[in-house]
Amino acid sequence: MKHFFELLLNGLSLGCIDALIALGFVVVFKATRVVNFAYGSLLLLGAFLIGRYHESLGFAVAVLVSIVVTSAVAAFVGVVVLRRVRLADPGTLAIVTLGVDILLATELTRRIGSDLLTTGDPWGASVRDLAGVHIAQTRIAAAVVAVGVVVAFLVALKFTDSGVALRAAAERPATAALLGIRLGRVAAGAWLLAGALAAVAGLFFTAFPSPGITGSVGQIALGAAVPAAVLGGLDSTTGALVGGLAVGLTATFAAGYQDQLAFLGRGFGSVAPYVVMLLVLLVRPSGLFGGKEVTRV
Amino acid sequence: MPDLRVRDLHVSYGGALKALRGVSLDVPSEGVVAVLGGNGAGKTTLLRAISATLRLCGGAVDSGSVEFAGKRLDRMDPAAVVRAGVVQVPEGRQVFEHLTVAENLRAAAIATPRRLRRPAWDRVHELFPLLVERAAQHAGLLSGGEQQMLAIGRALMAAPLVLLLDEPSLGLAPRMVQHIGEIVTEIGRQGTAVVLVEQNAALALRVSNVAHVLETGRVTLSGTSAQLATTEEIKDRYLGGRPTAAPPPRHGGSQTLVVQGVSVRFGGVAALSEVSLRVVAGSVHALIGPNGAGKSTCLNVLTGVYRAARGSVRYKDTELTTLRPHRIARLAVARTFQNLALSASATVADNLLLGCHRLTRAGFVAAGLRTRAARREEAEQRHRVGRIAELLELDGVLHDAVGTLPYGQRKRVELGRALCAEPSLLLLDEPVAGMTADESARLAATIARLRAELALTILLVEHDMAFVMGLADEVTVLDFGRRIASGTPAQVRRDPEVIRAYLGQAAKEDAVP
Repeated sequence: MKHFFELLLNGLSLGCIDALIALGFVVVFKATRVVNFAYGSLLLLGAFLIGRYHESLGFAVAVLVSIVVTSAVAAFVGVVVLRRVRLADPGTLAIVTLGVDILLATELTRRIGSDLLTTGDPWGASVRDLAGVHIAQTRIAAAVVAVGVVVAFLVALKFTDSGVALRAAAERPATAALLGIRLGRVAAGAWLLAGALAAVAGLFFTAFPSPGITGSVGQIALGAAVPAAVLGGLDSTTGALVGGLAVGLTATFAAGYQDQLAFLGRGFGSVAPYVVMLLVLLVRPSGLFGGKEVTRV
Repeated sequence: MPDLRVRDLHVSYGGALKALRGVSLDVPSEGVVAVLGGNGAGKTTLLRAISATLRLCGGAVDSGSVEFAGKRLDRMDPAAVVRAGVVQVPEGRQVFEHLTVAENLRAAAIATPRRLRRPAWDRVHELFPLLVERAAQHAGLLSGGEQQMLAIGRALMAAPLVLLLDEPSLGLAPRMVQHIGEIVTEIGRQGTAVVLVEQNAALALRVSNVAHVLETGRVTLSGTSAQLATTEEIKDRYLGGRPTAAPPPRHGGSQTLVVQGVSVRFGGVAALSEVSLRVVAGSVHALIGPNGAGKSTCLNVLTGVYRAARGSVRYKDTELTTLRPHRIARLAVARTFQNLALSASATVADNLLLGCHRLTRAGFVAAGLRTRAARREEAEQRHRVGRIAELLELDGVLHDAVGTLPYGQRKRVELGRALCAEPSLLLLDEPVAGMTADESARLAATIARLRAELALTILLVEHDMAFVMGLADEVTVLDFGRRIASGTPAQVRRDPEVIRAYLGQAAKEDAVP
């Protein structure tokens, strides 16, 4: 039973990180209908900047720099690179983001080289003992930050002008433009936000107990973001949060009980989120919260 | 205050299709300017050119200009046009369904300078008290008329100097049309110029000061609305007589649709309560009623989309209420949709072929291998599609993409697709919504012919009273989910309950001359 609670707690905290990742993925899709495959390498960029500069700048400043630079790069990709092909259909744009991803990930991998980069966060490798259940200090920090960020995001989405503009533009872009909402700004805002989320998620995704910052981090993160976003419904922020938690829990439990699941083969934990995604899609083809129609009475 | 000036405007789509061929008109700083014309005349294109949204629809200004307050609107982007004070209410309302009413209004105020927001709020509250009542509700749950009010109110939140209205009366009951008309007049009187694009010429001429008639991209007639209203040309074209369909032959038989005591509830709202009606085989039965009366709900129950909480629906000795939609379709029941449900990028022929799906026996493998049976079947179906296109006068556009056709023809495609399934019972959801009197008269004649030739039983839901009265053998009237009257058109028209609930005093003169 203790094992179960340990997995539950760890799964929830990992789910919080996955939810942050999925949120950044979904915000861009919601605002622009572009599936952002460059998201993994943006996350890697965020983590890389922290890993490279925390010694010289100090951890806190390095995180701030990482957030600012990653947002700027994301906005550059979203506004400058994609504007050139703005009239293309979303499928083409998704492929462009795939190209950006390869470029960025390759360059970062080259820069990391054989260095062993770590995030240098103040929590280090310490582990807390909560009533007999063990959990890494970084994971507690991740959960607290994720909850804070998500609450702030949802409040902003619901109550601010920008939030209303984003939702209006997501639902009917042409009509939103007719009412004076600048679609270019909405898109830029979404990409900026996605960049910031990528940086924060990158920090916790590569901190202890993860092995550190390597070139493959981006792909692994994207591997968590896609099932989380898809099973939640690609255009739903609520879906991203639920999907992220589901993916974190599934992966943790499948890994934690791998002895019992040995008949499915080794490493089932890494495919388990996709199995859950497929099962959800069989029942609800547009995801848990995606594309729901409001029926008029 | 500045005027809006359109000068010698030429617009084309995709570099080929000429939509406007030299339109010039002035919009004074106050009052209502009406732009009349049939489907495909270029009315919506004109509004798009003014609001700079042509590019979003694949169109471009070839020559000419749109000027407002010394600025060239045709060179701006849509958001800048709104900031210059010109705001469009799009056709088909286009409310943000997943946002609440209050959020819809707020979305439009984002571009509004802060000092103008408060007065804009007050104005919307005064014109549309109903929107205040329902502020916290999702806009998708409003009725058609309420959504139109929201769409207009939303545009007013942008504090416009010029308001562009695209077909605000489309698909609304006469009483609601009347109400919207009064609001448009009021907006014009309050110092906002209004450009009203309408097919409902009676409404447009009543509420406007000046009117222009647009035909195939040109202004063919201009004048004060009072003058135009008395012009014979206008009367003939738009206020035309009622359709005169000959009473068609009756087919006997036991294939009567019997609806008995059907009730449907959505949450706490009774959408239908204890509704009963009989559609005799071979007859045309009309279901009418104001917005939100439950007409579309009733069709959805018949086709298995909604489940009835109580009651029964019987057709061909089968109980329909427990069947899934595709099983009902197999009983040769076909329907059309109020808001077109066509594939816009496919050709007319392909859309019609889709309607043949029910009758297709060749499977995926047989079709892929092009076996002899599959080829013969396809040839037969293409033949049937050709025949139905002919009946509907669509044979000329069979290989055009549906998205390029004007609205009236798309409605015909929708009807054709339903006919391709060789139905014995045809359910029509507002077949003439958005058509001119002239077009709806032609469609009435077509439907009367189809019914005679194809031995159809027809149940139709409609707002257009003239259309219903000329075509139906029997009429059932719903109001707030209850049946309030039924009988022949003549009986129903005299029923005081119906007049009160549906037509209203003023509208009665319009709809039933």
